[in-house]
Amino acid sequence: MDNIAGTKSSLSWAVNLSVIFLVVLWLIPTVGLLVSSFRDRDQISASGWWLSPFAVEQNFQAKIPAGEVRQDGEFFVIEGNIFSGGEGEVIRFGGARSNPTVAAAGETAELTRDRSLTVQANGDFVYRSPAEIKRDPSVYYSTATPPDFSLDNYQTILFSNNMDIAFINTLTVTIPATIIPILIAAFAAYALAWMDFAGRGLLIAMVVGLLVVPLQLALVPLLQFHNSIGIGQSFLGIWMAHTGFGLPLAIYLLRNYMVGLPRDIIESAKVDGATDFQVFTKIVLPLSFPALASFAIFQFLWTWNDLLVAKVFLPSNAESWVMTVKIADDLLGSRGGDWGILASAAFISIAVPLIVFFTMQRYLVRGLLAGSVK
Amino acid sequence: MKARFYAGAAALALFAGLAHADGHQPFAVGEGDFSWDSYNEFADKYDLSGQTVEITGPWTGDEKEKVDKAFSYFTSATGATVNYSGSDSFEQDIVISARSGSAPNLAVFPQPGLAADMASQGLLTPLPDGTADWVRDNYAAGQSWVDLGTYADENGEDQMYGLFYRVDVKSLVWYSPEAFDEAGYDIPETMEELKELTDLIVEEGGTPWCIGLGSGAATGWPATDWVEEMMLRTQSPADYDAWVANEMKFDDPKVIAAIEEFGAFARNDDYVDGGASAVANTDFRDSPTGLFDIPPKCYMHRQASFIPAFFPEGTVVGEDVDFFYFPAYAEKDLGKPVLGAGTLFAITNPSEAANAFIEFLKLPVAHELWMAQGGFLTAHAGVNTETYLEDSLKAQGDILLNATTFRFDASDLMPGEIGAGAFWTGMVDYTTGASAEDVAKGIQERWDTIQ
Repeated sequence: MDNIAGTKSSLSWAVNLSVIFLVVLWLIPTVGLLVSSFRDRDQISASGWWLSPFAVEQNFQAKIPAGEVRQDGEFFVIEGNIFSGGEGEVIRFGGARSNPTVAAAGETAELTRDRSLTVQANGDFVYRSPAEIKRDPSVYYSTATPPDFSLDNYQTILFSNNMDIAFINTLTVTIPATIIPILIAAFAAYALAWMDFAGRGLLIAMVVGLLVVPLQLALVPLLQFHNSIGIGQSFLGIWMAHTGFGLPLAIYLLRNYMVGLPRDIIESAKVDGATDFQVFTKIVLPLSFPALASFAIFQFLWTWNDLLVAKVFLPSNAESWVMTVKIADDLLGSRGGDWGILASAAFISIAVPLIVFFTMQRYLVRGLLAGSVK
Repeated sequence: MKARFYAGAAALALFAGLAHADGHQPFAVGEGDFSWDSYNEFADKYDLSGQTVEITGPWTGDEKEKVDKAFSYFTSATGATVNYSGSDSFEQDIVISARSGSAPNLAVFPQPGLAADMASQGLLTPLPDGTADWVRDNYAAGQSWVDLGTYADENGEDQMYGLFYRVDVKSLVWYSPEAFDEAGYDIPETMEELKELTDLIVEEGGTPWCIGLGSGAATGWPATDWVEEMMLRTQSPADYDAWVANEMKFDDPKVIAAIEEFGAFARNDDYVDGGASAVANTDFRDSPTGLFDIPPKCYMHRQASFIPAFFPEGTVVGEDVDFFYFPAYAEKDLGKPVLGAGTLFAITNPSEAANAFIEFLKLPVAHELWMAQGGFLTAHAGVNTETYLEDSLKAQGDILLNATTFRFDASDLMPGEIGAGAFWTGMVDYTTGASAEDVAKGIQERWDTIQ
């Protein structure tokens, strides 16, 4: 029975296990980022995110007010509670910074210079010294700190000044920068796939060649050009830049998809008297929808996440910041030390692309195969 | 219900923002210890209503807020609007915008090396005549600030391009006074004492140093500061200058000795928190937190004056943490060298208002307005040091003013490919086990290829 096609292999559990293993392995960084996004900078540098769900024993310092000293025989004694009215439970304590957990709660610790210290679990302490106490002595104690998560990072980002403007700016950049290249590329792809003219092959080769040109090369000359024709740093400029940078891939992808459409349909339409424009709008465009959608997803994600192009082609004042620039230049703090902000910013800025992705993902798989199968 | 709550919170945040914007000027003109006379005189002299000064610089986040507040006084004095924008990647942005012709009026350079590069390509405009004389007369150790701001233009002629505004002192060792007090350690006055103290801490079971070199793409730079400090403490200032200019080769025995002096601290497993292998992996922003742990993970941390920004929230400089001068060798007759760095203003797109702004920066009050907000040191000798926000800043300022030798961060002066590249990565290689000779030789070879 084992060899009959269609039955489950007895080793399927191994497959499942390894799939689970790989999924967990791939998710670890994301989970770490998610956990870190709920912690502040000090917590992140104090302990790893994997320790954050557990109560940790942490050491603290408390100052005993020397003013409350009273004399008890030949000893000077201070009594009180280290939590000064608050709640808490001492696990271990000590009188020296270098050895803060020398005794368990309830015991008496012998300190230097014949002093002694007793701390109860509820925080009540007795500090005895044979000599006069001049400065406030320090008591060190360890106590279990419950896990501490907060939404502060998210609050900082969502409610910071001008975040709404940055969000709208990002949409102002991404939506036209997604639509314009699709419009142009669809026309170009049709022409390259279905219209006969001299040098068509060469044109296709050039477009493919452009795919390998890194966009960083074009930043300075392109901005120079924008300045000379009067666009300068503006939204119009960044739409044109994104369009230019996105076109080679768009044309290549769409052309390869369109060339795979059945020749019969297009030829019959032409026989019936359809013009190229009619063939394009009535037949080719509707049939190419999966490829258009998948390119739209790519282009949208890339313009949404873009920092470099936005920094170069938009003015640098706060009114024209897109979200990525706002996060990098404003919220991360001077010298970029706020890891918590970075983590939560990642999750906030991922939200819109996720919505786009999940609403259009059924086209993505089809679109990824675009042009690959004839 | 919930939606309403959030809307309310959003409205509150918005109003808080507005209130914030209204209170833009934290100090009333004419009140406090500020040098308002210079401000009033300046305000009478200039009327630039309707003009705008565009400035870009490396200050972001909290620092941008302080800058905006300090510069708002230029607006109230002249009527011209100041648009300051900070960028995390300033070094790249300014080159792109200057080359493509959309440069701001003024740029704030954190590294003189980059400003010198841009000056030699003709992308900067020299400061108004007389600025050099003014700096010479009004800055402590004025001539050195003039030299640091003077570069060759595209024709090879020296011009004054940079006016320093904001200085960092690097030769500081941070420590917890309480930890020192309890352990009975004294502040070392000489390098010999510092080394003895280091050994003593190890003997008593502690870890003396926290060193972290991590800094994203710039990983390694804190080590270059260490090497520069050691250079200044083992060799003459003339040797240091020759090293910066590559007249003394990077693999000169004197430089290798300085690298090994740094290695004596950083490559000793007993001396550094986490052991020598942790040095290159620890982020420089995280490394000082070891001072505040109970029990202390380390007792000392050598870092520039800006590092309190990365101490845990609520830390008070002067109480929870303090600093001492990174001492010099008593046996070597080199005085008390101080290493520093700073940011300089240069004109990238000249205008009347830009020139006026340079004049504004010469006023003591322009410096005092940031001094009073904290995190700012100045070499301007005419300021009222009473306006420093904290005594600790004043003490750092005094270290600067009392230095027998002041030298600027060498890696900021070297060509970018070395000072912001090969030197950094070389130091990471060194702390992870490569020999000082190999590392120094590698850096010199890189330098040879760009000359």
